[in-house]
Amino acid sequence: MRIFVSGLRKLVGRPASFVTLGLLAGLLALIIIATATVATRDSSTAAQARALVLVQFPGAYDLILEFILGLGGLFAVIYGAAIAGSEWGWGTLKNAVARGESRTRYLLLSFGAVAVMVAVGLVIAFVVGIIAAIIGANIAGVPTTGLTDAATLNRMPAQFVRGWFAVVEEASLGFAIATLARSQLAGIGAGIAFYFGETFARLFLPDIVKYLPFAVAQASLNTGASGSVGGGPGGGGAGITSLPADTALVLVAVWLIGSLLVAVVFTERAEITG
Amino acid sequence: MTAGTDLALATRDLRKSYGKRVALAGLDLSVPSGVVYGFLGPNGAGKTTTMRLLTGLLHPDSGSIQLLGSPFARGDRRRLFRVGALIESPSFYPYLNGRQNLRELAATGAPVARNRVEELLELVGLRDRAKDKVSGYSLGMKQRLGIAGALLSDPQLLLLDEPANGLDPAGIVAMRETLRHLATIGKTVFVSSHLLAEIQVMADVVGIIAAGRLVREGTMQELLSSQQVVRVRLPLADADAALGVLTAIAPTTAAPDVDGKTTWLSVRTESHRAAEVNRVLAGAGLYASGIESGSDLEMLFLELTGGEPMPGSEGTFQGIGAGG
Repeated sequence: MRIFVSGLRKLVGRPASFVTLGLLAGLLALIIIATATVATRDSSTAAQARALVLVQFPGAYDLILEFILGLGGLFAVIYGAAIAGSEWGWGTLKNAVARGESRTRYLLLSFGAVAVMVAVGLVIAFVVGIIAAIIGANIAGVPTTGLTDAATLNRMPAQFVRGWFAVVEEASLGFAIATLARSQLAGIGAGIAFYFGETFARLFLPDIVKYLPFAVAQASLNTGASGSVGGGPGGGGAGITSLPADTALVLVAVWLIGSLLVAVVFTERAEITG
Repeated sequence: MTAGTDLALATRDLRKSYGKRVALAGLDLSVPSGVVYGFLGPNGAGKTTTMRLLTGLLHPDSGSIQLLGSPFARGDRRRLFRVGALIESPSFYPYLNGRQNLRELAATGAPVARNRVEELLELVGLRDRAKDKVSGYSLGMKQRLGIAGALLSDPQLLLLDEPANGLDPAGIVAMRETLRHLATIGKTVFVSSHLLAEIQVMADVVGIIAAGRLVREGTMQELLSSQQVVRVRLPLADADAALGVLTAIAPTTAAPDVDGKTTWLSVRTESHRAAEVNRVLAGAGLYASGIESGSDLEMLFLELTGGEPMPGSEGTFQGIGAGG
């Protein structure tokens, strides 16, 4: 418990936490408000209607969540890699091991703190997105009556938890890659390459890619509920095969556990020389 | 060390290789409890590898380690709860301040008393800078914080790798006093260093490692008494004659000339015979421009590790005559 709380304290004070959240929430707010502003000047009614979808509630809830979970997946890979890689690069894992701390416990509890931070980050980004959508709706002159749509609000927590679980799985990938690389930069670089590599590969190997971590993360969100999210890398984009949401959710858990297992086994066996 | 002595740390036939490179080739260390143990060796001799093995960062290829009277192997991490360590350069989260770094370090390993962090910040003289981010610390300040980190759990055995690195003279003196104090209250301090003069004034027992093996171990007194020497500085032209005269007193060696005009001769004899050496030289019409005498850990170190002695290069000697 001490390590978990310590992990949270370290993450709260860490610039990477602010930068990642700031980028995610900032981009989201910028896109929503810019879209709403431009939509009011668009002469094409069809184009205007498409753009205003972003600020029309209750549909905006799903679009905001989709944006957060899509881009958030990439950010989660980077964040997970930064946290795990720095423990090697800064030599702080060495300190803990030399004090008799269990490598496995240290690693897993540190990742537990990352998972909590991911949840907090997603909530904050979601709230920022909703506020931006309300502002955008006001700019575009769109009513916000759907803001309190009970059906959407009732389904949102479950959708959010599934999304969080998927993003945590993506963070675990970055975490494992950086652990194997013993480096922040190498971990971040490899994580980004994996993310875009999977996106690219789905054009040629859709039947294989649908089982890969980013694809299953997105597919796990396609619950069939009205407006359910998806469509990121390897996910439920047009013409791309994806797994049923519940099957994908199981595979998300498999990838999450597998990533952490790889990180733990590697760390337990590693000779710490840095 | 004699068998049966209360040992805080012992290794037997400890071996470690990195690929084909042998770092430790059967290290046998015996570190008694309640002493400051100086662990000396040239670069690449295996000092840091030893430290890493003692703290579980590396796993030995073979051999055994005993920490505080019990075997230490994989899975015995709790043995380290009574050990404090500073291995290589001090490592911290750069975006946290000194106090926060100690607090987060205290969350790992053995539980730490609530006010321990403040005590240690005071001890290492960092209380005033405790709120500053570590990224802004000098090397010496990081080193102090590293020493504080090593002391967090009030360890019975302290392993310090080059702890004087980056410390200013006042910091070195304060560290030396702290480590000596720890030994007087029964703690064992194991210090690796390349600062021979520092080890000479601080350590009770010394182990010298070369090419992954222990080449000498003993109390500082034993080692120094075996290594007393008188050195004389003479014009290069008088060196051969002086060598002949002084060899009659005791075995004498000449060091390579340093400046092309003078050279140092080392007479292996008790340091109190410096005046006699000078008298013998004068009697032969040879006049020294400088005389030093003392017990030289540096010379022993260089002999054992295959280096070349450099007379006058390190301040472990007492100057007697007018320096040249």
